[in-house]
Amino acid sequence: MKITNARHTSSAGAKWTMENFTALFGAQADPPPPPTALSFGPGKPPPPPPPPPGGGPGTAAPPTAATAPPGADKSTAGCGPFYLMRELPGSTELTGSTNLITHYNLEQAYNKFCGKKVKEKLSNFLPDLPGMIDLPGSHDNSSLRSLIEKPPILGGSFNPITGTMLSGFRLHTGPLPEQCRLMHIQPPRKSKHKHKQSRTQDPVPPETPSDSDHKKKKKKKEEDPERKRKKKEKKKKKVGWQELAQRVHACPEWRPEALAQGNHSVPATLLQAQAVLRVLTPPLTPQSRHSPDHPGMGSSQASSSSSLR
Amino acid sequence: MAEKFDHLEEHLEKFVENIRQLGIIVSDFQPSSQTGLNQKLNFIVTGLQDIDKCRQQLHDITVPLEVFEYIDQGRNPQLYTKECLERALAKNEQVKGKIDTMKKFKSLLIQELSKVFPEDMAKYRSIRGEDHPPSCV
Repeated sequence: MKITNARHTSSAGAKWTMENFTALFGAQADPPPPPTALSFGPGKPPPPPPPPPGGGPGTAAPPTAATAPPGADKSTAGCGPFYLMRELPGSTELTGSTNLITHYNLEQAYNKFCGKKVKEKLSNFLPDLPGMIDLPGSHDNSSLRSLIEKPPILGGSFNPITGTMLSGFRLHTGPLPEQCRLMHIQPPRKSKHKHKQSRTQDPVPPETPSDSDHKKKKKKKEEDPERKRKKKEKKKKKVGWQELAQRVHACPEWRPEALAQGNHSVPATLLQAQAVLRVLTPPLTPQSRHSPDHPGMGSSQASSSSSLR
Repeated sequence: MAEKFDHLEEHLEKFVENIRQLGIIVSDFQPSSQTGLNQKLNFIVTGLQDIDKCRQQLHDITVPLEVFEYIDQGRNPQLYTKECLERALAKNEQVKGKIDTMKKFKSLLIQELSKVFPEDMAKYRSIRGEDHPPSCV
């Protein structure tokens, strides 16, 4: 694995730019191509004669073979004003005009790192690493920079520690002092449960803790006697039904002896049971069916209907 | 490629875990834990050997030095990747802007030169193989 310094790539970048430059404008070391029909030479001709003092811009005639000074290169004489022209860069060449992130298929990486907020701390990147790793490396002399600047002595191989060598690792019994317990220090982590609590509490209007506590206590006090009454009523009801059941079972028709004699027939016992119920329980009026005194009826019906849904 | 990194990551995780366990043993050392300590020390040696073996497979990997600076400062190294991508995109946009501007400039220059030097520009176009003057981008 090598370590590169992006800052030191300027020379490489310069080389790249020079290569591109030569690609764009043609290599200087290339041999001169044969003169074309228009006789454009690669080399720069001698500078044109200075314009006459009376002539304005654009009035100077382009240098032609007739006007060329004697002894000048004839191949460059017919170039006219385009003697410095080079070939245009190819359209297939990759330039900054194209989106290079899409060209190198880095869209996913771009969306991953730039789409959402990346957490700042190192412990977010390496959550399972023990110890306090968010502190700067210079703090405890554990920086990677120092590892590069002062590399450790290498060359030796890692050999297992033998029995005699292990005798050097006999430690004193007892706990380490607090300042040496580096492994136990962990960066603080936010639990999700706390977040949820804070989110749910956000829409609630702010209240002073003393007021809210007082109100809650009051509500509890107010609700307590009502709850007690309801509980008592429920108990009573339960007892009532239990009593009813006892009475039904106490009925001579339902006794085991009577059942063993075979005096019972199914329709007869059912009718008897109905008669017993009629005697013992008051008749149900339509109002009382849905009254709070008979919550079981409504709730059971509702539950059954809801379960069917 | 990814297998190499997975291998190294696995070895590093094991090594870190061994170090953590060694720290726990040492933090409250008891005479009975001497055998465990000796075992852990040898695990660490083997762990270092495994990591050293991975070095041969990763000799062609280059790491920017700036990443180390981020880690030394206790910062998430993914921030470096993020900043690199953002810088690349910004530079890409800059260069694209320059290229577009130069293209515009070229077309306008050719237009204006064609007005003043029609013959020369016709010659130029014939050299370039352009029959019609380029329109503004």
